[in-house]
Amino acid sequence: MSTRPVLVLDDRATRSRPRRWHSWLLDLVLVLIGVVMVAPLVWLVVTSLTRADAAFQVPPQWLPKPFSAQAYTQVQGLIPFAQMALNSFQVAVAATVGSLFFSVLAAYGFSRFDFRGSKVLFVGMLSSLMVPVQLTIIPVFVMMRHLGLVDDIAALWLPALINVFQIFFLRQYFSSVPRELDEAARMDGANHLWILFRIIVPLSGPALSAMAILSFEASWNNYFAPLVFLNTPSHMTLPLGLVTLQSAQGGPAVVVFAAITMVVVPVLVVFLLFQRAFVSSIAASGLK
Amino acid sequence: MTTAASVSTVPRTSAATTGGPATNRWVGLAFVSPALVLFLVFIGGPFVFAIVLSLYSWDLLTPAEFVGAGNFRTLFSDPLLGKVLTNTFLFAIASVVTHVVGALLLALAVNRAMNRAVSYFVRTAFFFPFLISWSAVALLFKYVLDPTFGLVSHYLGVVGISAPDWFTDPHWALPAIIGIDWWHTIGFTFVIMLAGLQTVPTHLQDAARTDGANAWQVFWHVTVPLMSPTLFFATIITFIGAFQIFDPMQIITQGGPDNATKTIVMYLYEQGFQSFQIGYASAVAVLVFVVIMLVTVVQFLLSRVWVHEQ
Repeated sequence: MSTRPVLVLDDRATRSRPRRWHSWLLDLVLVLIGVVMVAPLVWLVVTSLTRADAAFQVPPQWLPKPFSAQAYTQVQGLIPFAQMALNSFQVAVAATVGSLFFSVLAAYGFSRFDFRGSKVLFVGMLSSLMVPVQLTIIPVFVMMRHLGLVDDIAALWLPALINVFQIFFLRQYFSSVPRELDEAARMDGANHLWILFRIIVPLSGPALSAMAILSFEASWNNYFAPLVFLNTPSHMTLPLGLVTLQSAQGGPAVVVFAAITMVVVPVLVVFLLFQRAFVSSIAASGLK
Repeated sequence: MTTAASVSTVPRTSAATTGGPATNRWVGLAFVSPALVLFLVFIGGPFVFAIVLSLYSWDLLTPAEFVGAGNFRTLFSDPLLGKVLTNTFLFAIASVVTHVVGALLLALAVNRAMNRAVSYFVRTAFFFPFLISWSAVALLFKYVLDPTFGLVSHYLGVVGISAPDWFTDPHWALPAIIGIDWWHTIGFTFVIMLAGLQTVPTHLQDAARTDGANAWQVFWHVTVPLMSPTLFFATIITFIGAFQIFDPMQIITQGGPDNATKTIVMYLYEQGFQSFQIGYASAVAVLVFVVIMLVTVVQFLLSRVWVHEQ
Protein backbone atom coordinates (compact mmCIF):
# COMPACT_ATOMS: atom_id res chain seq x y z
CA MET A 1 0.00 0.00 0.00
CA SER A 2 1.35 3.36 -0.90
CA THR A 3 0.66 6.04 1.62
CA ARG A 4 0.07 8.68 -0.97
CA PRO A 5 -1.54 7.65 -4.25
CA VAL A 6 -0.60 10.78 -6.16
CA LEU A 7 2.99 11.77 -6.48
CA VAL A 8 4.77 14.55 -8.24
CA LEU A 9 7.63 13.73 -10.53
CA ASP A 10 10.17 16.26 -9.42
CA ASP A 11 13.72 16.26 -10.65
CA ARG A 12 15.47 14.35 -8.02
CA ALA A 13 18.26 16.20 -6.28
CA THR A 14 20.79 13.42 -6.22
CA ARG A 15 24.20 13.12 -4.64
CA SER A 16 26.38 16.11 -5.23
CA ARG A 17 29.06 14.32 -7.18
CA PRO A 18 30.82 16.28 -9.93
CA ARG A 19 29.39 15.45 -13.35
CA ARG A 20 31.63 13.17 -15.30
CA TRP A 21 32.00 12.87 -19.07
CA HIS A 22 29.61 9.95 -19.32
CA SER A 23 26.90 12.06 -17.70
CA TRP A 24 27.25 14.51 -20.59
CA LEU A 25 27.26 11.68 -23.08
CA LEU A 26 24.05 10.31 -21.60
CA ASP A 27 22.47 13.79 -21.84
CA LEU A 28 23.43 13.88 -25.51
CA VAL A 29 21.93 10.46 -26.21
CA LEU A 30 18.71 11.41 -24.43
CA VAL A 31 18.41 14.69 -26.30
CA LEU A 32 18.96 12.85 -29.60
CA ILE A 33 16.19 10.38 -28.75
CA GLY A 34 14.00 13.31 -27.75
CA VAL A 35 14.66 15.05 -31.07
CA VAL A 36 13.75 11.89 -32.98
CA MET A 37 10.53 11.62 -30.94
CA VAL A 38 9.57 15.22 -31.66
CA ALA A 39 10.63 15.27 -35.34
CA PRO A 40 7.40 13.79 -36.79
CA LEU A 41 5.36 16.44 -34.96
CA VAL A 42 7.58 19.29 -36.15
CA TRP A 43 7.36 17.95 -39.69
CA LEU A 44 3.57 17.78 -39.30
CA VAL A 45 3.23 21.44 -38.33
CA VAL A 46 5.80 22.69 -40.86
CA THR A 47 4.21 20.77 -43.74
CA SER A 48 0.71 21.95 -42.82
CA LEU A 49 1.95 25.54 -43.15
CA THR A 50 3.64 25.01 -46.52
CA ARG A 51 1.95 25.85 -49.81
CA ALA A 52 0.31 22.67 -51.19
CA ASP A 53 2.42 22.44 -54.36
CA ALA A 54 5.67 22.77 -52.38
CA ALA A 55 4.84 20.37 -49.56
CA PHE A 56 6.23 16.83 -49.18
CA GLN A 57 9.55 17.46 -50.87
CA VAL A 58 12.56 15.19 -50.83
CA PRO A 59 14.68 15.83 -48.81
CA PRO A 60 12.12 16.80 -46.11
CA GLN A 61 11.78 20.53 -45.44
CA TRP A 62 12.06 21.83 -41.88
CA LEU A 63 10.85 25.36 -42.55
CA PRO A 64 7.49 26.28 -44.15
CA LYS A 65 8.65 27.73 -47.47
CA PRO A 66 6.69 29.15 -49.18
CA PHE A 67 4.44 29.81 -46.22
CA SER A 68 0.70 29.30 -46.64
CA ALA A 69 -2.13 28.78 -44.14
CA GLN A 70 -4.58 27.97 -46.90
CA ALA A 71 -4.82 24.31 -45.95
CA TYR A 72 -6.40 25.32 -42.65
CA THR A 73 -9.19 27.15 -44.40
CA GLN A 74 -9.96 24.11 -46.56
CA VAL A 75 -10.55 21.65 -43.71
CA GLN A 76 -13.99 22.96 -42.81
CA GLY A 77 -15.14 22.61 -46.42
CA LEU A 78 -14.37 18.89 -46.44
CA ILE A 79 -15.50 17.83 -42.97
CA PRO A 80 -17.63 19.66 -40.36
CA PHE A 81 -14.55 20.11 -38.18
CA ALA A 82 -16.04 22.61 -35.72
CA GLN A 83 -19.11 20.44 -35.17
CA MET A 84 -16.91 17.38 -34.65
CA ALA A 85 -14.80 19.23 -32.11
CA LEU A 86 -17.96 20.29 -30.29
CA ASN A 87 -19.23 16.69 -30.30
CA SER A 88 -15.93 15.43 -28.89
CA PHE A 89 -16.05 18.10 -26.21
CA GLN A 90 -19.63 17.31 -25.21
CA VAL A 91 -18.96 13.58 -24.96
CA ALA A 92 -15.77 14.08 -22.95
CA VAL A 93 -17.36 16.53 -20.52
CA ALA A 94 -20.47 14.38 -20.00
CA ALA A 95 -18.38 11.25 -19.50
CA THR A 96 -15.94 12.94 -17.12
CA VAL A 97 -18.37 14.89 -14.95
CA GLY A 98 -20.96 12.11 -14.92
CA SER A 99 -18.60 9.27 -14.11
CA LEU A 100 -16.86 11.28 -11.39
CA PHE A 101 -20.18 12.07 -9.74
CA PHE A 102 -21.28 8.42 -9.59
CA SER A 103 -17.79 7.24 -8.64
CA VAL A 104 -17.54 9.70 -5.75
CA LEU A 105 -20.86 8.47 -4.33
CA ALA A 106 -19.93 4.81 -4.72
CA ALA A 107 -16.42 5.33 -3.34
CA TYR A 108 -17.91 6.94 -0.25
CA GLY A 109 -20.30 4.02 0.17
CA PHE A 110 -17.50 1.47 -0.15
CA SER A 111 -14.99 3.33 2.02
CA ARG A 112 -17.26 4.29 4.91
CA PHE A 113 -19.80 1.45 5.22
CA ASP A 114 -19.36 -2.24 5.75
CA PHE A 115 -22.83 -3.25 4.62
CA ARG A 116 -23.71 -6.85 3.89
CA GLY A 117 -22.43 -7.92 0.49
CA SER A 118 -20.24 -4.83 0.11
CA LYS A 119 -17.06 -6.90 -0.22
CA VAL A 120 -18.55 -9.23 -2.83
CA LEU A 121 -19.97 -6.30 -4.73
CA PHE A 122 -16.68 -4.44 -4.71
CA VAL A 123 -14.57 -7.40 -5.81
CA GLY A 124 -17.17 -8.28 -8.44
CA MET A 125 -17.00 -4.81 -9.94
CA LEU A 126 -13.21 -4.82 -9.79
CA SER A 127 -12.91 -8.12 -11.65
CA SER A 128 -14.76 -6.52 -14.54
CA LEU A 129 -11.58 -4.53 -15.25
CA MET A 130 -10.41 -7.71 -16.99
CA VAL A 131 -13.39 -7.72 -19.36
CA PRO A 132 -12.40 -6.17 -22.70
CA VAL A 133 -14.62 -3.40 -24.02
CA GLN A 134 -15.07 -5.31 -27.30
CA LEU A 135 -17.07 -7.92 -25.37
CA THR A 136 -19.53 -5.58 -23.68
CA ILE A 137 -19.88 -3.26 -26.67
CA ILE A 138 -21.77 -5.91 -28.66
CA PRO A 139 -24.78 -6.11 -26.28
CA VAL A 140 -24.53 -2.35 -25.66
CA PHE A 141 -24.78 -1.86 -29.44
CA VAL A 142 -27.91 -4.02 -29.52
CA MET A 143 -29.30 -1.98 -26.61
CA MET A 144 -28.57 1.37 -28.28
CA ARG A 145 -30.17 0.13 -31.46
CA HIS A 146 -33.39 -0.60 -29.54
CA LEU A 147 -33.23 2.82 -27.91
CA GLY A 148 -32.71 4.51 -31.28
CA LEU A 149 -29.36 5.90 -30.12
CA VAL A 150 -27.16 4.53 -32.90
CA ASP A 151 -25.53 7.49 -34.70
CA ASP A 152 -26.08 9.60 -31.56
CA ILE A 153 -23.29 10.75 -29.24
CA ALA A 154 -25.42 9.63 -26.27
CA ALA A 155 -24.37 6.09 -27.22
CA LEU A 156 -20.81 7.16 -26.35
CA TRP A 157 -21.23 9.01 -23.06
CA LEU A 158 -24.01 6.92 -21.47
CA PRO A 159 -21.88 3.77 -21.08
CA ALA A 160 -18.96 5.96 -19.93
CA LEU A 161 -20.92 7.07 -16.85
CA ILE A 162 -19.72 3.96 -15.04
CA ASN A 163 -15.98 3.80 -14.47
CA VAL A 164 -14.89 0.98 -12.18
CA PHE A 165 -11.26 2.05 -12.00
CA GLN A 166 -12.33 5.46 -10.70
CA ILE A 167 -14.46 3.87 -7.98
CA PHE A 168 -11.58 1.68 -6.90
CA PHE A 169 -9.04 4.50 -6.95
CA LEU A 170 -11.24 7.00 -5.11
CA ARG A 171 -12.22 4.42 -2.52
CA GLN A 172 -8.52 3.91 -1.71
CA TYR A 173 -8.04 7.64 -1.49
CA PHE A 174 -11.13 8.28 0.64
CA SER A 175 -10.03 5.54 3.03
CA SER A 176 -6.88 7.56 3.72
CA VAL A 177 -8.95 10.58 4.83
CA PRO A 178 -9.08 10.36 8.65
CA ARG A 179 -12.43 9.26 10.04
CA GLU A 180 -12.04 11.67 12.95
CA LEU A 181 -13.03 14.41 10.50
CA ASP A 182 -16.31 12.62 9.72
CA GLU A 183 -17.02 12.18 13.40
CA ALA A 184 -16.28 15.77 14.27
CA ALA A 185 -18.67 16.89 11.54
CA ARG A 186 -21.35 14.51 12.79
CA MET A 187 -21.02 16.00 16.27
CA ASP A 188 -21.92 19.29 14.64
CA GLY A 189 -24.95 17.65 13.05
CA ALA A 190 -23.70 17.15 9.48
CA ASN A 191 -25.32 14.48 7.31
CA HIS A 192 -23.55 12.09 4.95
CA LEU A 193 -23.86 14.23 1.83
CA TRP A 194 -22.41 17.19 3.70
CA ILE A 195 -19.50 15.07 5.00
CA LEU A 196 -18.81 13.72 1.53
CA PHE A 197 -19.03 16.93 -0.47
CA ARG A 198 -17.79 19.42 2.14
CA ILE A 199 -15.06 17.41 3.83
CA ILE A 200 -13.88 14.40 1.84
CA VAL A 201 -14.17 15.74 -1.72
CA PRO A 202 -12.29 19.00 -0.97
CA LEU A 203 -9.52 16.96 0.63
CA SER A 204 -9.23 14.71 -2.44
CA GLY A 205 -8.31 17.32 -5.04
CA PRO A 206 -5.26 15.54 -6.48
CA ALA A 207 -7.07 12.21 -6.78
CA LEU A 208 -10.12 13.78 -8.41
CA SER A 209 -8.10 15.81 -10.89
CA ALA A 210 -6.04 12.75 -11.79
CA MET A 211 -9.21 10.78 -12.51
CA ALA A 212 -10.75 13.69 -14.42
CA ILE A 213 -7.71 13.99 -16.68
CA LEU A 214 -7.57 10.26 -17.40
CA SER A 215 -11.29 10.11 -18.13
CA PHE A 216 -11.35 13.18 -20.36
CA GLU A 217 -8.32 12.00 -22.28
CA ALA A 218 -9.72 8.49 -22.81
CA SER A 219 -12.98 9.90 -24.13
CA TRP A 220 -11.37 12.60 -26.27
CA ASN A 221 -9.10 10.09 -28.02
CA ASN A 222 -11.52 7.16 -28.29
CA TYR A 223 -11.79 5.72 -31.79
CA PHE A 224 -13.33 2.25 -31.44
CA ALA A 225 -16.70 3.17 -29.90
CA PRO A 226 -17.35 6.12 -32.27
CA LEU A 227 -16.49 3.85 -35.21
CA VAL A 228 -19.06 1.31 -34.01
CA PHE A 229 -21.84 3.78 -33.21
CA LEU A 230 -21.58 6.81 -35.51
CA ASN A 231 -22.17 7.11 -39.26
CA THR A 232 -23.08 10.69 -40.12
CA PRO A 233 -20.11 13.09 -40.35
CA SER A 234 -21.89 15.86 -38.41
CA HIS A 235 -22.51 13.42 -35.54
CA MET A 236 -18.91 12.19 -35.39
CA THR A 237 -16.21 12.95 -32.86
CA LEU A 238 -12.82 14.28 -33.99
CA PRO A 239 -10.76 11.05 -34.07
CA LEU A 240 -13.32 9.40 -36.36
CA GLY A 241 -13.87 12.58 -38.38
CA LEU A 242 -10.15 12.90 -39.08
CA VAL A 243 -10.10 9.46 -40.65
CA THR A 244 -13.05 10.32 -42.89
CA LEU A 245 -11.15 13.39 -44.09
CA GLN A 246 -8.43 11.13 -45.37
CA SER A 247 -10.89 9.45 -47.69
CA ALA A 248 -12.76 12.66 -48.55
CA GLN A 249 -12.59 13.61 -52.20
CA GLY A 250 -10.40 16.46 -53.32
CA GLY A 251 -8.48 16.92 -50.10
CA PRO A 252 -4.76 17.25 -50.71
CA ALA A 253 -2.45 15.78 -48.06
CA VAL A 254 -1.59 19.21 -46.63
CA VAL A 255 -5.25 19.60 -45.68
CA VAL A 256 -5.08 16.31 -43.78
CA PHE A 257 -1.94 17.64 -42.08
CA ALA A 258 -3.69 20.90 -41.20
CA ALA A 259 -6.56 18.97 -39.62
CA ILE A 260 -4.20 16.71 -37.65
CA THR A 261 -2.35 19.82 -36.44
CA MET A 262 -5.61 21.37 -35.28
CA VAL A 263 -6.24 18.21 -33.25
CA VAL A 264 -2.74 17.94 -31.80
CA VAL A 265 -1.84 21.56 -30.97
CA PRO A 266 -4.67 22.25 -28.47
CA VAL A 267 -3.72 19.05 -26.64
CA LEU A 268 -0.10 20.21 -26.54
CA VAL A 269 -1.07 23.63 -25.17
CA VAL A 270 -3.28 22.15 -22.44
CA PHE A 271 -0.56 19.67 -21.61
CA LEU A 272 2.18 22.29 -21.29
CA LEU A 273 -0.08 24.36 -19.03
CA PHE A 274 -0.98 21.47 -16.72
CA GLN A 275 2.03 19.23 -17.26
CA ARG A 276 2.47 18.34 -13.63
CA ALA A 277 -1.17 17.30 -13.20
CA PHE A 278 -1.04 15.16 -16.35
CA VAL A 279 2.11 13.32 -15.36
CA SER A 280 0.85 12.78 -11.81
CA SER A 281 -2.38 11.31 -13.12
CA ILE A 282 -0.50 8.69 -15.14
CA ALA A 283 1.87 7.96 -12.27
CA ALA A 284 -1.16 7.61 -10.01
CA SER A 285 -2.72 5.01 -12.28
CA GLY A 286 0.46 2.97 -11.87
CA LEU A 287 0.35 2.99 -8.10
CA LYS A 288 -2.47 0.44 -8.15
CA MET B 1 -5.40 -6.67 -12.34
CA THR B 2 -2.89 -5.48 -9.79
CA THR B 3 -5.87 -3.79 -8.36
CA ALA B 4 -7.55 -7.07 -7.46
CA ALA B 5 -4.52 -8.17 -5.49
CA SER B 6 -4.37 -5.15 -3.31
CA VAL B 7 -8.00 -5.34 -2.23
CA SER B 8 -7.20 -7.88 0.42
CA THR B 9 -4.47 -5.67 1.83
CA VAL B 10 -6.80 -2.76 2.39
CA PRO B 11 -7.56 -2.45 6.10
CA ARG B 12 -11.06 -3.58 6.88
CA THR B 13 -13.48 -0.76 7.16
CA SER B 14 -14.07 -0.37 10.86
CA ALA B 15 -17.61 -0.51 12.18
CA ALA B 16 -19.78 2.25 10.89
CA THR B 17 -19.33 5.55 12.60
CA THR B 18 -22.78 6.93 12.32
CA GLY B 19 -26.29 5.77 13.17
CA GLY B 20 -27.15 2.20 14.08
CA PRO B 21 -25.94 -0.80 12.09
CA ALA B 22 -29.33 -1.24 10.41
CA THR B 23 -29.50 2.29 8.99
CA ASN B 24 -25.87 2.19 7.92
CA ARG B 25 -26.43 -0.85 5.83
CA TRP B 26 -29.03 0.98 3.81
CA VAL B 27 -27.13 4.25 3.68
CA GLY B 28 -24.03 2.49 2.34
CA LEU B 29 -26.08 0.67 -0.26
CA ALA B 30 -27.82 3.92 -1.20
CA PHE B 31 -24.49 5.58 -1.98
CA VAL B 32 -23.33 2.63 -4.05
CA SER B 33 -26.59 1.91 -5.87
CA PRO B 34 -26.50 4.53 -8.68
CA ALA B 35 -23.11 3.20 -9.78
CA LEU B 36 -24.35 -0.34 -9.26
CA VAL B 37 -27.32 0.19 -11.57
CA LEU B 38 -25.06 1.68 -14.25
CA PHE B 39 -22.64 -1.20 -13.76
CA LEU B 40 -25.39 -3.77 -14.26
CA VAL B 41 -26.77 -1.99 -17.34
CA PHE B 42 -23.48 -1.27 -19.13
CA ILE B 43 -20.97 -3.87 -17.89
CA GLY B 44 -22.36 -6.73 -15.79
CA GLY B 45 -25.49 -7.32 -17.85
CA PRO B 46 -23.77 -7.02 -21.25
CA PHE B 47 -21.04 -9.39 -20.03
CA VAL B 48 -23.60 -12.12 -19.32
CA PHE B 49 -25.61 -11.27 -22.43
CA ALA B 50 -22.52 -11.51 -24.67
CA ILE B 51 -21.75 -14.99 -23.35
CA VAL B 52 -25.35 -16.04 -24.08
CA LEU B 53 -25.17 -14.42 -27.54
CA SER B 54 -22.03 -16.41 -28.35
CA LEU B 55 -24.26 -19.52 -28.33
CA TYR B 56 -26.64 -18.06 -30.92
CA SER B 57 -26.55 -17.28 -34.59
CA TRP B 58 -27.98 -13.81 -35.09
CA ASP B 59 -27.75 -11.14 -37.80
CA LEU B 60 -29.88 -8.52 -35.95
CA LEU B 61 -32.68 -8.83 -38.54
CA THR B 62 -33.97 -12.40 -38.45
CA PRO B 63 -34.73 -14.11 -35.11
CA ALA B 64 -31.71 -15.49 -33.25
CA GLU B 65 -31.16 -19.21 -33.52
CA PHE B 66 -29.55 -21.34 -30.80
CA VAL B 67 -26.44 -23.07 -32.16
CA GLY B 68 -24.71 -24.18 -28.94
CA ALA B 69 -20.97 -24.38 -29.46
CA GLY B 70 -21.45 -23.93 -33.21
CA ASN B 71 -19.89 -20.47 -33.35
CA PHE B 72 -16.81 -21.70 -31.49
CA ARG B 73 -16.52 -24.71 -33.79
CA THR B 74 -16.66 -22.43 -36.86
CA LEU B 75 -14.20 -20.05 -35.21
CA PHE B 76 -11.60 -22.70 -34.41
CA SER B 77 -11.86 -24.20 -37.88
CA ASP B 78 -11.35 -20.83 -39.59
CA PRO B 79 -7.82 -20.92 -41.04
CA LEU B 80 -7.66 -17.15 -40.59
CA LEU B 81 -7.90 -17.48 -36.79
CA GLY B 82 -4.38 -18.89 -36.46
CA LYS B 83 -2.96 -16.06 -38.55
CA VAL B 84 -4.88 -13.44 -36.61
CA LEU B 85 -3.89 -14.83 -33.19
CA THR B 86 -0.24 -15.11 -34.27
CA ASN B 87 -0.25 -11.46 -35.36
CA THR B 88 -1.89 -10.38 -32.12
CA PHE B 89 0.47 -12.33 -29.85
CA LEU B 90 3.51 -11.18 -31.84
CA PHE B 91 2.38 -7.59 -31.51
CA ALA B 92 1.59 -7.96 -27.79
CA ILE B 93 4.86 -9.70 -26.88
CA ALA B 94 6.98 -7.29 -28.93
CA SER B 95 5.06 -4.43 -27.36
CA VAL B 96 5.61 -5.66 -23.79
CA VAL B 97 9.34 -6.27 -24.29
CA THR B 98 10.11 -3.01 -26.10
CA HIS B 99 7.98 -0.91 -23.77
CA VAL B 100 9.14 -2.37 -20.47
CA VAL B 101 12.84 -2.54 -21.36
CA GLY B 102 12.83 0.78 -23.22
CA ALA B 103 10.94 2.66 -20.54
CA LEU B 104 13.11 1.21 -17.76
CA LEU B 105 16.30 2.29 -19.54
CA LEU B 106 14.91 5.76 -20.28
CA ALA B 107 13.72 6.18 -16.69
CA LEU B 108 17.09 5.10 -15.31
CA ALA B 109 18.85 7.53 -17.65
CA VAL B 110 16.60 10.43 -16.69
CA ASN B 111 16.49 9.77 -12.95
CA ARG B 112 19.68 11.63 -11.93
CA ALA B 113 20.97 15.14 -11.47
CA MET B 114 20.44 16.85 -14.82
CA ASN B 115 20.38 20.25 -16.39
CA ARG B 116 16.82 21.56 -15.89
CA ALA B 117 16.23 22.47 -19.52
CA VAL B 118 17.55 19.14 -20.79
CA SER B 119 15.46 17.26 -18.27
CA TYR B 120 12.30 19.22 -19.19
CA PHE B 121 12.76 18.75 -22.93
CA VAL B 122 13.51 15.05 -22.67
CA ARG B 123 10.62 14.22 -20.34
CA THR B 124 8.15 16.24 -22.42
CA ALA B 125 9.36 14.71 -25.68
CA PHE B 126 9.00 11.17 -24.34
CA PHE B 127 5.62 11.72 -22.75
CA PHE B 128 3.66 14.00 -25.06
CA PRO B 129 2.91 11.59 -27.95
CA PHE B 130 0.90 9.48 -25.52
CA LEU B 131 -1.74 12.22 -25.30
CA ILE B 132 -2.43 12.33 -29.05
CA SER B 133 -5.31 10.21 -30.32
CA TRP B 134 -4.49 7.04 -32.23
CA SER B 135 -6.28 8.33 -35.30
CA ALA B 136 -4.06 11.43 -35.54
CA VAL B 137 -0.94 9.33 -34.93
CA ALA B 138 -1.93 6.70 -37.48
CA LEU B 139 -2.71 9.27 -40.20
CA LEU B 140 0.53 11.14 -39.53
CA PHE B 141 2.68 8.01 -39.66
CA LYS B 142 1.16 6.90 -42.92
CA TYR B 143 3.08 9.86 -44.31
CA VAL B 144 6.12 9.61 -42.01
CA LEU B 145 6.70 6.06 -43.28
CA ASP B 146 5.84 6.82 -46.90
CA PRO B 147 8.46 5.19 -49.15
CA THR B 148 8.92 8.22 -51.43
CA PHE B 149 8.66 11.39 -49.33
CA GLY B 150 8.47 10.04 -45.75
CA LEU B 151 10.96 11.03 -43.07
CA VAL B 152 12.00 7.52 -42.05
CA SER B 153 12.81 6.22 -45.49
CA HIS B 154 14.71 9.39 -46.37
CA TYR B 155 16.91 9.47 -43.27
CA LEU B 156 17.51 5.71 -43.39
CA GLY B 157 18.65 6.29 -46.96
CA VAL B 158 21.04 9.00 -45.76
CA VAL B 159 22.80 6.49 -43.52
CA GLY B 160 22.85 3.93 -46.32
CA ILE B 161 19.89 1.71 -45.43
CA SER B 162 17.31 1.22 -48.15
CA ALA B 163 13.98 1.13 -46.38
CA PRO B 164 11.22 -1.27 -47.41
CA ASP B 165 7.79 -0.11 -48.49
CA TRP B 166 6.57 -0.52 -44.93
CA PHE B 167 2.84 -0.93 -45.28
CA THR B 168 2.69 -2.99 -48.47
CA ASP B 169 5.44 -5.44 -47.54
CA PRO B 170 3.91 -8.33 -45.54
CA HIS B 171 7.17 -8.75 -43.60
CA TRP B 172 7.43 -5.12 -42.57
CA ALA B 173 3.86 -3.96 -42.00
CA LEU B 174 3.52 -5.43 -38.50
CA PRO B 175 7.00 -4.34 -37.30
CA ALA B 176 6.23 -0.85 -38.64
CA ILE B 177 3.07 -0.66 -36.55
CA ILE B 178 4.96 -2.01 -33.51
CA GLY B 179 7.37 0.89 -33.98
CA ILE B 180 4.58 3.47 -34.32
CA ASP B 181 2.92 2.07 -31.21
CA TRP B 182 6.22 2.41 -29.32
CA TRP B 183 6.53 6.05 -30.33
CA HIS B 184 2.92 6.67 -29.33
CA THR B 185 2.72 4.97 -25.95
CA ILE B 186 6.26 4.76 -24.53
CA GLY B 187 5.53 7.91 -22.52
CA PHE B 188 2.94 6.09 -20.42
CA THR B 189 5.32 3.25 -19.49
CA PHE B 190 8.12 5.77 -18.99
CA VAL B 191 6.13 7.73 -16.41
CA ILE B 192 5.06 4.53 -14.61
CA MET B 193 8.72 3.42 -14.46
CA LEU B 194 9.92 6.80 -13.28
CA ALA B 195 7.32 6.79 -10.50
CA GLY B 196 8.38 3.26 -9.53
CA LEU B 197 12.05 4.17 -9.61
CA GLN B 198 11.47 7.07 -7.27
CA THR B 199 10.00 4.75 -4.65
CA VAL B 200 13.35 2.89 -4.49
CA PRO B 201 15.21 4.31 -1.48
CA THR B 202 18.55 5.77 -2.59
CA HIS B 203 20.32 4.66 0.56
CA LEU B 204 20.04 0.98 -0.42
CA GLN B 205 21.81 1.64 -3.71
CA ASP B 206 24.41 3.75 -1.91
CA ALA B 207 24.94 0.99 0.65
CA ALA B 208 25.49 -1.58 -2.11
CA ARG B 209 27.96 0.76 -3.81
CA THR B 210 29.84 1.25 -0.54
CA ASP B 211 30.09 -2.52 -0.24
CA GLY B 212 31.85 -2.58 -3.60
CA ALA B 213 29.02 -3.47 -5.99
CA ASN B 214 29.49 -2.19 -9.54
CA ALA B 215 26.79 -0.35 -11.49
CA TRP B 216 25.41 -3.52 -13.08
CA GLN B 217 25.25 -5.35 -9.75
CA VAL B 218 23.45 -2.42 -8.11
CA PHE B 219 20.96 -2.35 -10.98
CA TRP B 220 20.35 -6.09 -11.12
CA HIS B 221 20.43 -6.98 -7.40
CA VAL B 222 19.03 -3.83 -5.81
CA THR B 223 17.07 -1.65 -8.23
CA VAL B 224 15.27 -4.36 -10.24
CA PRO B 225 14.03 -6.38 -7.22
CA LEU B 226 12.80 -3.22 -5.52
CA MET B 227 11.06 -2.15 -8.74
CA SER B 228 9.53 -5.55 -9.43
CA PRO B 229 5.97 -4.51 -8.45
CA THR B 230 6.19 -1.69 -11.03
CA LEU B 231 7.68 -3.98 -13.66
CA PHE B 232 4.86 -6.45 -13.01
CA PHE B 233 2.17 -3.78 -13.32
CA ALA B 234 3.72 -2.40 -16.52
CA THR B 235 3.93 -5.89 -18.05
CA ILE B 236 0.29 -6.73 -17.38
CA ILE B 237 -1.15 -3.36 -18.38
CA THR B 238 0.92 -3.27 -21.60
CA PHE B 239 -0.06 -6.79 -22.54
CA ILE B 240 -3.77 -6.20 -21.97
CA GLY B 241 -3.70 -2.99 -24.01
CA ALA B 242 -1.58 -4.49 -26.79
CA PHE B 243 -3.72 -7.60 -27.12
CA GLN B 244 -6.69 -5.37 -27.95
CA ILE B 245 -4.80 -3.31 -30.57
CA PHE B 246 -7.09 -2.18 -33.36
CA ASP B 247 -6.92 1.51 -34.25
CA PRO B 248 -3.62 1.77 -36.21
CA MET B 249 -4.29 -1.39 -38.21
CA GLN B 250 -7.82 -0.30 -39.05
CA ILE B 251 -6.67 3.17 -40.12
CA ILE B 252 -3.37 2.45 -41.88
CA THR B 253 -3.50 -1.04 -43.39
CA GLN B 254 -7.06 -2.34 -42.89
CA GLY B 255 -5.40 -5.56 -41.77
CA GLY B 256 -3.36 -5.97 -44.95
CA PRO B 257 -1.21 -6.66 -46.81
CA ASP B 258 -2.34 -10.27 -47.08
CA ASN B 259 -3.74 -10.18 -43.50
CA ALA B 260 -0.25 -9.47 -42.16
CA THR B 261 -1.59 -6.88 -39.70
CA LYS B 262 -5.04 -8.31 -39.00
CA THR B 263 -5.54 -8.64 -35.25
CA ILE B 264 -8.15 -10.52 -33.26
CA VAL B 265 -10.10 -7.33 -32.50
CA MET B 266 -10.11 -6.38 -36.20
CA TYR B 267 -11.49 -9.82 -36.96
CA LEU B 268 -14.15 -9.26 -34.28
CA TYR B 269 -15.02 -5.83 -35.68
CA GLU B 270 -15.41 -7.16 -39.22
CA GLN B 271 -17.61 -10.04 -38.13
CA GLY B 272 -19.72 -8.04 -35.69
CA PHE B 273 -20.06 -4.57 -37.11
CA GLN B 274 -19.49 -5.05 -40.83
CA SER B 275 -21.07 -8.46 -41.48
CA PHE B 276 -23.39 -8.16 -38.44
CA GLN B 277 -22.74 -11.74 -37.34
CA ILE B 278 -23.55 -10.72 -33.78
CA GLY B 279 -23.44 -14.21 -32.26
CA TYR B 280 -20.21 -15.13 -34.00
CA ALA B 281 -18.56 -11.83 -33.01
CA SER B 282 -19.61 -12.49 -29.41
CA ALA B 283 -17.84 -15.83 -29.56
CA VAL B 284 -14.67 -14.04 -30.76
CA ALA B 285 -15.06 -11.52 -27.90
CA VAL B 286 -15.37 -14.36 -25.39
CA LEU B 287 -12.13 -15.79 -26.77
CA VAL B 288 -10.39 -12.40 -26.32
CA PHE B 289 -11.66 -12.26 -22.74
CA VAL B 290 -10.48 -15.79 -21.95
CA VAL B 291 -6.99 -15.12 -23.33
CA ILE B 292 -6.65 -11.89 -21.34
CA MET B 293 -7.89 -13.60 -18.19
CA LEU B 294 -5.58 -16.60 -18.60
CA VAL B 295 -2.52 -14.48 -19.28
CA THR B 296 -3.31 -12.26 -16.29
CA VAL B 297 -3.77 -15.26 -13.99
CA VAL B 298 -0.54 -16.88 -15.21
CA GLN B 299 1.36 -13.65 -14.69
CA PHE B 300 -0.06 -13.39 -11.18
CA LEU B 301 1.10 -16.91 -10.38
CA LEU B 302 4.55 -16.19 -11.82
CA SER B 303 4.70 -12.91 -9.92
CA ARG B 304 4.80 -14.81 -6.63
CA VAL B 305 8.20 -16.05 -7.71
CA TRP B 306 9.77 -12.86 -9.00
CA VAL B 307 7.89 -9.91 -7.57
CA HIS B 308 9.48 -8.62 -4.41
CA GLU B 309 6.82 -7.36 -1.98
CA GLN B 310 7.99 -4.54 0.18
